Amino acid sequence: MEKKLQDLKKTFMSEMDNVKDSQFLADLKKKYLGRKGELTGILKEVKDMASEEKPRVGKLANEIKEELTEVFNKTEKIIKNKGDQAIDFDPTMPGTKRQTGHLHPSTIVQQEVEDAFVSMGFSVYDGPQLESDYYNFTALNIPEEHPARDSHDTFWLEQNWLLRTHTSNLQVRMLEKHGAPFRGIFPGRCFRYESTDASHDHTFFQLEGLMIDKGINIGNLIATMKSLLSAVFNTDVDVRLRPGFFPFVEPGFEMDIKCLVCEGKGCSVCKQSGWVELMPCGMVHPEVLKAGGVDPNEYSGFAFGLGLTRLVMMKYRIDDIRLLESGDLRFLKQF
Amino acid sequence: MYLSLNWVKNWLKLPKDISAKQLALDLTMSTVEVEEVIDQAAMLDKIVVGKIKEITKHPNADRLQVCQVDIGETTSKIVCGGSNLTKGMLVAVAQIGSQVRWHGEGELVTLAKAKIRGVESNGMIAASTEIGLGDLFPVKDENEILDLSAHKVKSGQPLSEALGLNDIIIDIDNKSINHRPDLWGQYGLARELAAIYKIKLKEYAVADLTPQSKGKLKVTVTDKKNCFRYLGLAISGVKVIESPLWLKSQLQAVGIRPINNIVDVTNYILYELGQPLHAFDNRQIANNNIEIKQAQKGESFVTLDGEKRKLPEGALMIADSEKYVALAGIMGGQNSEISQDTTDIIIEAANFRDISIRHTSVVLGLRSESSARFEKSLDPVIAETAIKKAAQMILELCPDAVVASQLVDVNNNPFKEVSLQVPEALINNRFGVVIPTADIKDILKRLQFEVSYKAKTFNIKVPSFRATKDISIPEDIVEEVARIYGYDNIQAQLPIVTLQEPRANIAYQAGRDIKRWLALSQLYNEVYTYPFTDQGWVKKMNLDIIQHIKLKNAVSPEQGYLNLSLLPNLLKRAEENMRWYEEFRIFELERVFDKSSKGVYHTEKSKNKFLPKQDKVLAGVEVSKQTQEQLFLSIKGLISSMMSYWGIDWNTERINLSYAKAAYQIKYQENVLGYFGILDSGLFDSGGAKVNVGFWQEDFTLLIKYIGQAPKFRQLPKYPSINRDLAVIVDKDLNWQEIENEVLKVSPLMQHIEPFDIFVGQSIGDDKKSIAFHLEFRSDDRTLLAEDIDKVMENIVEILQKKFQAVRR
Repeated sequence: MEKKLQDLKKTFMSEMDNVKDSQFLADLKKKYLGRKGELTGILKEVKDMASEEKPRVGKLANEIKEELTEVFNKTEKIIKNKGDQAIDFDPTMPGTKRQTGHLHPSTIVQQEVEDAFVSMGFSVYDGPQLESDYYNFTALNIPEEHPARDSHDTFWLEQNWLLRTHTSNLQVRMLEKHGAPFRGIFPGRCFRYESTDASHDHTFFQLEGLMIDKGINIGNLIATMKSLLSAVFNTDVDVRLRPGFFPFVEPGFEMDIKCLVCEGKGCSVCKQSGWVELMPCGMVHPEVLKAGGVDPNEYSGFAFGLGLTRLVMMKYRIDDIRLLESGDLRFLKQF
Repeated sequence: MYLSLNWVKNWLKLPKDISAKQLALDLTMSTVEVEEVIDQAAMLDKIVVGKIKEITKHPNADRLQVCQVDIGETTSKIVCGGSNLTKGMLVAVAQIGSQVRWHGEGELVTLAKAKIRGVESNGMIAASTEIGLGDLFPVKDENEILDLSAHKVKSGQPLSEALGLNDIIIDIDNKSINHRPDLWGQYGLARELAAIYKIKLKEYAVADLTPQSKGKLKVTVTDKKNCFRYLGLAISGVKVIESPLWLKSQLQAVGIRPINNIVDVTNYILYELGQPLHAFDNRQIANNNIEIKQAQKGESFVTLDGEKRKLPEGALMIADSEKYVALAGIMGGQNSEISQDTTDIIIEAANFRDISIRHTSVVLGLRSESSARFEKSLDPVIAETAIKKAAQMILELCPDAVVASQLVDVNNNPFKEVSLQVPEALINNRFGVVIPTADIKDILKRLQFEVSYKAKTFNIKVPSFRATKDISIPEDIVEEVARIYGYDNIQAQLPIVTLQEPRANIAYQAGRDIKRWLALSQLYNEVYTYPFTDQGWVKKMNLDIIQHIKLKNAVSPEQGYLNLSLLPNLLKRAEENMRWYEEFRIFELERVFDKSSKGVYHTEKSKNKFLPKQDKVLAGVEVSKQTQEQLFLSIKGLISSMMSYWGIDWNTERINLSYAKAAYQIKYQENVLGYFGILDSGLFDSGGAKVNVGFWQEDFTLLIKYIGQAPKFRQLPKYPSINRDLAVIVDKDLNWQEIENEVLKVSPLMQHIEPFDIFVGQSIGDDKKSIAFHLEFRSDDRTLLAEDIDKVMENIVEILQKKFQAVRR
């Protein structure tokens, strides 16, 4: 009898393992635990057994019944929770449109560049776009009649005001206000009096950077820009310096970036040279430091003028600069 | 500026293993920016000298002939229409594959084998203009082919070699030599190459002049402030003729059109030394008298290009004792220019003040090779070298010519010798790498600085050609050393600095946040517009253009004024987008310019003058198919959310705007932060679409001053609240705010009240409206019972009835 009970348990357990759905489960319940089920049958037999065996076998039979019931209930729960049949939706149907607005691509790139600089300990500043001759030119070592003014086609306004031709107008303003040491960037809108075509616009964005501290050198400028551009382009970039003349830096440089399209092998983007001109930069001229009230014997520093608009065009391969200020939503919704 | 490698070979031997491309790169990395390398020989590739052996008539064309041309190893059959063809003539044969310009016009084409009127032709016999040599060999008749018989050339010789047209020209970006007057001549560029390649540079030697006759040339410098030096020399017995080929081709190589021997010599020196010269016809100089003085108000002068020019007051002029004869440093006068029959000349080599020349040239809008150099601040020392060299060349070109005066030299050179003491540490600290002392010394010497070294300091004497403006401070020496040593040798190293205190920048942070918020949560698209206001919309909106800041030089009249509001441009952009979209939202955050208010930015160091106000404004436009009321509520909701995002407890008040159907101010206490409203629909061209346009604009610079503290935490409710709804009929023009204020006062249990339906209709009377609203009640110390609320509801109805004659529905 005891063996019978143990066998019953064994076959029940192995059948339970194969339960796939509730129908099968119901059949099993009927087969083992139902009124005419096998276990019920054994229990009935126990009644007729000799009395000295009865308590022991009865106890075992009840234990097994409880055990089987428990296993059954657990399985039933699992099977039931499986819920309905799986449904196959059409995954090729377009989803319901979740509308969203869009930031301007220049804003997106500007914020990326700002974040990279901020993580290197630079602060972000802003200043006037309508500017005086003094801060746009004279304070930057570009006095009146200086030939360097030729390359700054300027929009002039009443009272000899002008629209700033570069974000460098903030160099002396910021030094006057904050003094040295200083680490800041000034992104913003600049203007040049020139006619527009696919690669020129009279309104464009620059991001000026200025770092003044003790013992700043050219190697610091290269390393800072290399780290930063690598962060912006999300790849290890290579840069090089070559001489460039800007009256507010000495020495002055043009910084080139190794062509990201051909990796320096030469292609149409870099005019086969392997390098793309990226930005003017240099060590801040002592006259500019003096104009900002900083002692050039104690401090030195670097400045650079990153062409944000150019960066945006490079990043998204935009071939017409005029799209940026067109307000055309067919363009702006792409970003 | 063009650098001719043949030209600089007069003074140095370039390393053989350096290609033109490499040389261009080396120059770019150490000195100036190279734009292009032009290989003259490549332009004349597959063009050779040929000798005409036989000429026969073309069978099918009267004006064409068929020539057998000896081109060295073979003989070629070529069809030709040249009017001057003769047997035995030496000609230029453009072979198959060469590049020519048909009749000297249009684009370059590559020659292919062709049948001309049925006869095969292997290339062409070229006219000078067809192979880019029109300046060297001017044509007299349009069908004339280039006759090389007078030259020492052999058939079969490549033309470039035969004529010595094998120069390599390096095109240098003028912008990159703005600060280097010494690089505006071939010799200066040779000096740089010598320094870069560590090669020997021949000294620029000139002989002294011996006058053959004693002419009376008198020079008076009246304006000493602007004329630093003036050298004059008379030469008589010159014969004005075409220059020899070597001179013509050298000038042509650097882009200068040969004119005649005298003018060509002055241009040659200009390009060799960077020193402009001028030659006067001595017949036209009254009394051998030259005076340098300023133009008076209202005078005019005819320059040698035939233009009569109104002279700016103070323009520096060259005069004789009767009249002006040249616009100093810019252009000569028509009255004294060299002509075919000129025999006696006066050569001028002068040095004028950069600012004076630049000013006059800008005012007149007249730039020349000469003015471009003077405005860079030339070295007065070179003028003497230049005039001596010019005289020497003219004497060589005109065997009968003699020096006919003393070399008159009025020298007021204001430039002092520049000596600099440069600590070695400055160079190394700026560079970030230690350069051996000997290397520094060597580099400076190669650049012709005089250097001595004592107590870790370089004592440097700057050569005069670098001392006019270019090199004046120790930092300039850092650059000289660094660029020749090579920027590639600098070690990139991140700066080691002291941490700085963070500087909170609310404007920056708030600007970034709100842009994201508008774009990502409010379906707004960010647009950028120009700073120039759209005048069409300014007019439509009935704004006063006079209040806008006017540009002195606008790119076009439509872009003549600066924005005083962002709305005109945004509305213009909205209208344009109607072609593609029926509904959309756009916004912009930028500065606008208000001349009626003083801004915060000062104009100069003294800090007592200020620029006009140029606050940033945040503005948006919504184009929507909703009803005007729905759109109004949508924009009101936007402003509310924005203000609560910033923690600004705002209020509003109706205002009149000429362009709005309805408009309301955004106020914080008594400060007006902006306004919003619904545009007068007649103004907006929607292209036929049934839309309404909402707008809003905030003074962002002002608004961020009122951004509130972070919200304070409130305990979560301990007891449940009870909600009820109520609908009342009231007068149509009763503001919701009044109802809300009254209801909130009724009981401390009132937590929140919010309208959800407004109904207007005849059934309740024309001047009435029905407002339905949700009410939320809660107590902080017990669970409310229905009876509690019933009582409060009764009170509410009672109060509303008393105050507003409201009737419960």
